[in-house]
Amino acid sequence: MQNRFGLKDFVLFVLVGVLALSIWMRMFQQDREWRKSESVLSKLSSLESQVARLENKLDTGVVVAGGSGPSSTSGPAPTDGKPAANGGSGGDSSWARPGVKIEWQPPWGPATDPFKQPGVQVGGEFTEVYEAQMARLTPFIASDVYARRLHEFVFSTLAVYDPVTLKMRGQLAEAWQVDPNGLWLRARLRPGLRFSDGKPLTAEDIRWTFHEFMMNEEIEAERSRSIYRDCIAKVTPIDDRTVDFEFKERLFTNVDNALGLFVLPKHIYSQFSPADINRGTGLMVGSGPFRLRDVDPNRQWAPPADVVLERNEQYWGPKPPLATIRFKSIQDETARLNAFKRGDADMITPASTQFVTLSGDPEWKDRARFLNWVNMRSGYSFIAWNCGERAGKLTPFHDKRVRLAMTYMLDREKMIRDIWSGVGQVAKGNQPLGSPGSNQSIQPWPYDLAKSRQLLKEAGWEDRNGDGLIEDARGNAFEWEFSFASGGEIALKIANFVKDSAAVVGIRVKLRPADWSVYQDFMKLRDFDSITLGWGASSPESDPRQIFHSDAIKNQGDNFAQWKNEEADRLIDEGRREMDAAKRGQIWQRLEAVLHEDQPYTFIRVPPWLRLVNPEVKNVNPYPKGLEHPEFFRGGSQSPKPAN
Amino acid sequence: MVNYILRRVLLMVPTLVGITFVVFMLIAASPGGIGAGLLVSAGGAMQSQNAIAIQKAKLEDRYGLNEPVIVQYGRWLRRILPIKFGTRDLVSPSGELVSRPRPVPEPAVWRWFATELKQAEPLSEEEVARRFTNPGSEAGTRAFQAAVGEYVTARAAYIASEALVRDSLKRYIEAWGKPELLTRKQEPRVSAISRVEPDRTLKEYAELERLGRDALAARELAAQKREALIAGMSTKPYPQAGIGIIPGVLSLAPPDLGIAFSRGRPVIDLLAEALPVTLLINFIAFPIIYMIAIPGGMLAATRKGTWVDLAQGLTVIALYSVPVVLAGVIAQGFLVNPDYLDAFPAAGLIGKGSEQMAFMPGANGACAWERGWLLDRVWHLVLPVLCLVYGGFAILSKQTRAAMLENFNADYVRTAKAKGVSNRDVIFRHVFRNSLLPLITMFVTIFPAMLAGSVVVERVFSIPGMGSLLIEAINLRDRELILANTTMVAVVNLLALLLADILYATADPRITFK
Repeated sequence: MQNRFGLKDFVLFVLVGVLALSIWMRMFQQDREWRKSESVLSKLSSLESQVARLENKLDTGVVVAGGSGPSSTSGPAPTDGKPAANGGSGGDSSWARPGVKIEWQPPWGPATDPFKQPGVQVGGEFTEVYEAQMARLTPFIASDVYARRLHEFVFSTLAVYDPVTLKMRGQLAEAWQVDPNGLWLRARLRPGLRFSDGKPLTAEDIRWTFHEFMMNEEIEAERSRSIYRDCIAKVTPIDDRTVDFEFKERLFTNVDNALGLFVLPKHIYSQFSPADINRGTGLMVGSGPFRLRDVDPNRQWAPPADVVLERNEQYWGPKPPLATIRFKSIQDETARLNAFKRGDADMITPASTQFVTLSGDPEWKDRARFLNWVNMRSGYSFIAWNCGERAGKLTPFHDKRVRLAMTYMLDREKMIRDIWSGVGQVAKGNQPLGSPGSNQSIQPWPYDLAKSRQLLKEAGWEDRNGDGLIEDARGNAFEWEFSFASGGEIALKIANFVKDSAAVVGIRVKLRPADWSVYQDFMKLRDFDSITLGWGASSPESDPRQIFHSDAIKNQGDNFAQWKNEEADRLIDEGRREMDAAKRGQIWQRLEAVLHEDQPYTFIRVPPWLRLVNPEVKNVNPYPKGLEHPEFFRGGSQSPKPAN
Repeated sequence: MVNYILRRVLLMVPTLVGITFVVFMLIAASPGGIGAGLLVSAGGAMQSQNAIAIQKAKLEDRYGLNEPVIVQYGRWLRRILPIKFGTRDLVSPSGELVSRPRPVPEPAVWRWFATELKQAEPLSEEEVARRFTNPGSEAGTRAFQAAVGEYVTARAAYIASEALVRDSLKRYIEAWGKPELLTRKQEPRVSAISRVEPDRTLKEYAELERLGRDALAARELAAQKREALIAGMSTKPYPQAGIGIIPGVLSLAPPDLGIAFSRGRPVIDLLAEALPVTLLINFIAFPIIYMIAIPGGMLAATRKGTWVDLAQGLTVIALYSVPVVLAGVIAQGFLVNPDYLDAFPAAGLIGKGSEQMAFMPGANGACAWERGWLLDRVWHLVLPVLCLVYGGFAILSKQTRAAMLENFNADYVRTAKAKGVSNRDVIFRHVFRNSLLPLITMFVTIFPAMLAGSVVVERVFSIPGMGSLLIEAINLRDRELILANTTMVAVVNLLALLLADILYATADPRITFK
């Protein structure tokens, strides 16, 4: 009992522990200071290079108004198309292929100029909350939707969809030519483009991005590669500012794909080996209005941290007013709302119920702006009926009348009221509402039980033995399995709604919940009677071939409804090869009419985007394209900061 | 003692193999493949099924998923075991292990188009010397990297063209009208098909033959590049992994946990991100549980039967019965919600703008009080820790109470009291010390559970810890991540059990290892 552990020893141990902890904390603090000074230094060097460039420009003389770039000596030579209003080489078309129309683009700028808005202030931070954690940010490798939304602010492309008109508008490109046969595209870059480190952006960067980054089999960009592999054959830089794309076949999506390719800086990404790139989480350097704050490859951004974008001071276009944008992730919806209420978030995506409750609350009138709009990314949700065979046997839904009866049977407006608190509208077809392909003459089928019963009777289903259930001529009761992905509350509610609705007309529905990966197998093997799902979209117009063409029934394609319609096949084949957007719109309208009549899907709902926005943040415009963060600015109660 | 420990450690190896084997088989047997994981992480975006098929084929090839499960398990075990047999892997400058490339598989139904598979010739010595000069130098490394690149590209091209052959074969069989040659999942039964003679008159056969010949050519190229790569590896362009024991036969190397399918990142990186978060919360939570539960139990034991005992028991049991989900929601709804108490932050572990703050609390530049980085961190930890802590009191304090009561009735306590030892000394010196035994064992069994993280708390407060990592891995069928996680927890569990036994013997001299 001599060397017993006594109180004195305990105190000693605690003291040593406290000492160790404080030393560690001191070192940690040192690290923070270090990082801070590093970020100041990098900002300083960026400013230095900016000043150097300005000085250089001053030395070589400034051209006042009108602006004329390096090609001003050749003189304006507007041939075809209208010359650009500014942006240097207005009208010089020596780069172009002769005899093909040049599509000149207006100067690049925001859709709603924040600097023309009252009370505009420069600086401040904007925080948006996402529902899921981004896994990584590296372009073409990052696969989640959130990272891709963020890429739009950090990278530039030759052209982007105009937020209002949804037509391609030149961003890096001041003009381009499209082959009337749809086999090539030539684009002309604007003068004076540069990446966020101040180095110039040239056509070679575009070639490098395509051939040596994305098409490099060693880089895990298979997802992007699979889209581009079937479309672009070759990218050739003609000179520093002109680039040629060669397409594999005549296809309407080629032009959008070529113009929408993110341009990576060759001089930065070529430093890394493919293994570094595959392993990296935050290799994101581009030429957009914002840049990632932590660009040091040895200390990259990694998941639990917020993603912070700061204003790109080297941006070649009109700079955004916000100093920083922060993206946080909060998975729990109550926590998201709390973060918004506390002012920790300036924009959140509320749940439908939250949105409805709060927007009806008079107290909330000044606390938030409520945005609820349908945009090009909205997509639609649906129930797909298996129109073909399941395990060698035709399902009842091979009959078009039965499918139509199902649609008549479902009160979709009530569905939206009950399941989504009334947020959203009934979907009528596959085309985004308001797009050229959307057929205005189509109205969603109404809720009509009498019609539903009549159609079922026509198809041979009626109550023959008086038990309240409907049977076919041989006395087999109408019974089907409704498959849905388990885990989601919404899918379960849809399933129950369908089950109850079917009971009204005398049909028994068995619910078949399945884990998502098993659910995938149902779709691939066509092992279902009906399933519910939603299609998302990332562009105003998408190729309907992989969903509705009968070719996509084979090879486990996405036509899991096994819907075969010759008219639709013909329209799809015709539409895909039509390069003229207006004519193509006509074709898609006819396709939508065929879908409406044939109902391989019962279209349920177009989900709008819901956002709660801090009223202090101004110029937040819900566009048909989505949201444009570079236009936002903080006004209101914030203390004004000097503009630069 | 040393003998005992050694025996226990050696026994751990078969136990671990057993655990991982069961988990591996469970994953292999569960329905749904890795394709789902790929699609989910794409955010449901549309892409052609053909592209997914090619991507899947490549992944299957890289991870050897097209081989029998038992072979896959053996391969996984080889990577995970610190003792390696055969030639040592190489470590590339970016830290990835470069192991000997696997043989290029045979294309489906090649016998229909060719009489024999061409075997690739190994490179001649002059060729090797010409291509891979000065291994270890920069030029040598570059030559080797080029060989790796060529091999990967060739193999990928082969896998892609082989996937096309299988697709075409399926179409062919459908046109041929022999559905018995397709599996339930509509995949062709390749080995059965190879044994029958094809119907060469069908028009689908022409396409199949063309693709089949392409695949054969692609395979030949891939096999050739593989030989070149193996020749390059034999010149040892990179340093070797681990420590060699017997050259070329036995070596020791750290376990390689692989790459997570769903995120395309090394598992070790993902664990390194999630583990510190979980450990931080738990290392704060557990001392709190112990510091409250044990004195509480002691108090209840000394005042047995009084209202103190009753109230203490009631409180801890009541807390124990509140589900964490409910507590989390209540915390979010009242403690966090600015419409009510507005006392705590809503989510995460780092506050907005805390990077800009000074370390310690104090006045900031604008002469306003600022809580500082440290306090901000603590403030964010309060609610998650609270949710982890409150349910843990019951078991520990009841255990303490029971153990102390048992000792109170023991003979030696009566003797001590009879000797005239003060009550305080009796409680702290005799009874408490002897009651510590079960508490030590309990701590050791609780510790591995800490590593697993708490799914609910992490979800409610948006904390990216181990719990959410594992749940996501299971949902996406991310084999490497699940296996790494279970292996880690299993190892820690086994070690903790061993530690428990050792501590038991140290604390109680009556227990020996005999």
